[in-house]
Amino acid sequence: MRQVKLRVNKEKCTGCLSCVLACSFSHFKYFDMSKSRVSVSGTHDLAEFEPSVCIQCEERYCVNSCPTGALSVNSATGVVTLDKDKCVGCKVCLKSCPYGGVKWDADSSNPLICDLCGGDPQCVKHCRYPEALYVEEG
Amino acid sequence: MPGTYAGRVLYIDLSTNSFREEILSEESITKYGAGRGMAAKLLWDMTGPQTKPFDADNTLIISTGVLTGTHAPMSGRATLTSKSPATGRYFKSNFGGRFGLALKFLGYDYLVITGKAQNPVYLYLDEDGVEFLSASNLWGKTVRETNALLEKKHGEDIETICIGPAGENGVKFAAVMASYYNAAARGGIGAVMGSKNLKAVAVPIGKGRVSVSDPDNFQIVVEKAREALYRDTGACDLNMYGTGATTDWLSEMSILPSYNFRRGKFDGADKITGKYLKDNGYLKREVGCAACIYACHRLTGIDSGEFKGSHSGGPEYETLASFGSGCGISDIEVILKANEIANDMGMDTISAGAVIQWAMECYEKGLVNKKDTGGLDLSWGNKEALLKLLEDIPYKRGFGAVLAEGTKGASQIVGGDSWKWTNQARGLEHSRVETRGAFGYALAFALNPRGPDHLHTEVLAEFGLKEEARQVIKKITGSEEYAKPYLLEKRAEIVKWHEEIYALTDTAGLCAFTSTASYGVDEQVLADLYSYATGYKFTASDILEIGRRIITLERCYNIREGHTRTEDILPWRIMNEVQQDLVGKQPEVPVVSKEKLDKMLEDYYVLVGWDSETGWPSKKTLKNLGLEFCIKPVWGDDNENS
Repeated sequence: MRQVKLRVNKEKCTGCLSCVLACSFSHFKYFDMSKSRVSVSGTHDLAEFEPSVCIQCEERYCVNSCPTGALSVNSATGVVTLDKDKCVGCKVCLKSCPYGGVKWDADSSNPLICDLCGGDPQCVKHCRYPEALYVEEG
Repeated sequence: MPGTYAGRVLYIDLSTNSFREEILSEESITKYGAGRGMAAKLLWDMTGPQTKPFDADNTLIISTGVLTGTHAPMSGRATLTSKSPATGRYFKSNFGGRFGLALKFLGYDYLVITGKAQNPVYLYLDEDGVEFLSASNLWGKTVRETNALLEKKHGEDIETICIGPAGENGVKFAAVMASYYNAAARGGIGAVMGSKNLKAVAVPIGKGRVSVSDPDNFQIVVEKAREALYRDTGACDLNMYGTGATTDWLSEMSILPSYNFRRGKFDGADKITGKYLKDNGYLKREVGCAACIYACHRLTGIDSGEFKGSHSGGPEYETLASFGSGCGISDIEVILKANEIANDMGMDTISAGAVIQWAMECYEKGLVNKKDTGGLDLSWGNKEALLKLLEDIPYKRGFGAVLAEGTKGASQIVGGDSWKWTNQARGLEHSRVETRGAFGYALAFALNPRGPDHLHTEVLAEFGLKEEARQVIKKITGSEEYAKPYLLEKRAEIVKWHEEIYALTDTAGLCAFTSTASYGVDEQVLADLYSYATGYKFTASDILEIGRRIITLERCYNIREGHTRTEDILPWRIMNEVQQDLVGKQPEVPVVSKEKLDKMLEDYYVLVGWDSETGWPSKKTLKNLGLEFCIKPVWGDDNENS
């Protein structure tokens, strides 16, 4: 898998939710916005939409805050991975991320964090704007 | 896996504050294509000639698209269906935004609203059903205020449809607004909502799930459609400049409706374009409806001067032409302000601009004077008059009360020859399309059950402006040579195919730009998307046949109301006045004379199996389409063989 990082540019988001739908579908084969690792916030009045997703940050707030060591970084891919057996569903990771990059799967009581879809993020592929949601090599 | 379509209907009776659910039979999709098609059948069943548009019995149907909720490109649309107060006939109005997606995720394929609330209400829908909530604090509020109050109460993660003051007060061209800026604008359906004392419907977004029957194959077809739509040579313009991309070009071609359709050229057309909006800092954001990959919708705003702080969605091409060239106004800031008022009041910008330019012509010709207008000078290009009337119409204040009736109703009040420049047929104001220079459009508009407009059958391909369009014309007619808008030949064939593909584009919940302006989606792609999404098997010919059935059923609805061939017409001006700017620019005289229209209509009736004398689908045609139940209401007897 190639090494990439996700990047967002909120100024360019059109609010179409294609990324949200594509993420859910690529992981679960159905469309469920609460199962997406990407979310889009913002109201319609000023159309100030803003996508939020894990950007594979240097600080790794979620990993460092996890009290049970359930989260770790895959050194080959840079992706944050979850050990479900260790996760106690405390949501500390969710609260620790300043980018809104950690989502919550209510069914499993586990965090949902971007796995970069094996190096070809579907959210990016389905985004109209390369400038709104894109990948950076390395 | 279950598919995207369950046939789930939520019936809501506002008179009794009650609701019930029903699952429709498979026929609702296999025969009617769901969405707009099945909504037409429901309207056929639930209303009739005895139903007046503002009766409690009139029915308001909101149908989601078969593909809505998925990532199929541009699949986020929904359709409103009702009997129109503008035309008194069948009306469907399709709208974008995210409301359809939110509703579909809750599991509803249709909302069917009847009755009339005693006091103003709004509905909040959730997975558990319907809450009937008092709208006493919302009534009288603008669309923006209404949405802000609803967000305050229910949180920001909601989508709405609502009406503004125009809908509350029965303006004949009141829109139903989706959230702040998307609109089911035409036909006055907002006034139907208002007559029911229904201010808004709000739904949470993000709850629920949509599954497709065959995910792997669905993904393959979605990719294919997306790639084709990206590749389309017109896609870039739509994205960069929105629907206003071509206003100046239309003027150069002498087909930009100006001064109430008396001119086709407009000085200052280059100042009312999508490019002008972008280059001069008015464009604040490109906005996409759910799952859109073009994002042609705009958020525009004004940063300084008289209208500082003004902002709204759009303006679309139709709005630029209606408030701009149509009224003789090239001041973009005035048009933006006018657009904001219309959106906020919940009015169709096409008809609002149409009725104001009609009044300007009345003023010029002395049929309306300052005494009638309360001192307002309605000279062409008067910006203050435009804005003042847009403020007065929704509240039916002063001369605004006359204009609130639309051009047909207003001309009956003003009298004289003013009906000649109403530029409406069957009660609906003509879209800002110069049909005297595009005879396929002319035929499509004459046949359109809504009235003369472009949002039922879009035949842009007849201009042959790009390779994809020429290929479509070749597919339909056998030759690219027919991709010329001034030809009368083959217009029937071109219109027929576009009627059918547009109908299924609507039922799918796809944007019309996927199949009739861009050409990434055709009947085969639709068949594949339908099949893999729903689990029912559709072929390309099934898709077109369902489209034909929908068109025919919509026609029959209107025939049951009294429609005959004599109403398959265009506005008087279009049929009787030569468009001077276009003279010499095309081989045909730029007027859609009765003779020309009759020729195209005859071709069409023969092609689709309609009786030439009455314009009614023959009994045989109805039987072949499985619409036997229409035979008696149309023909008066149910002898299938006579």
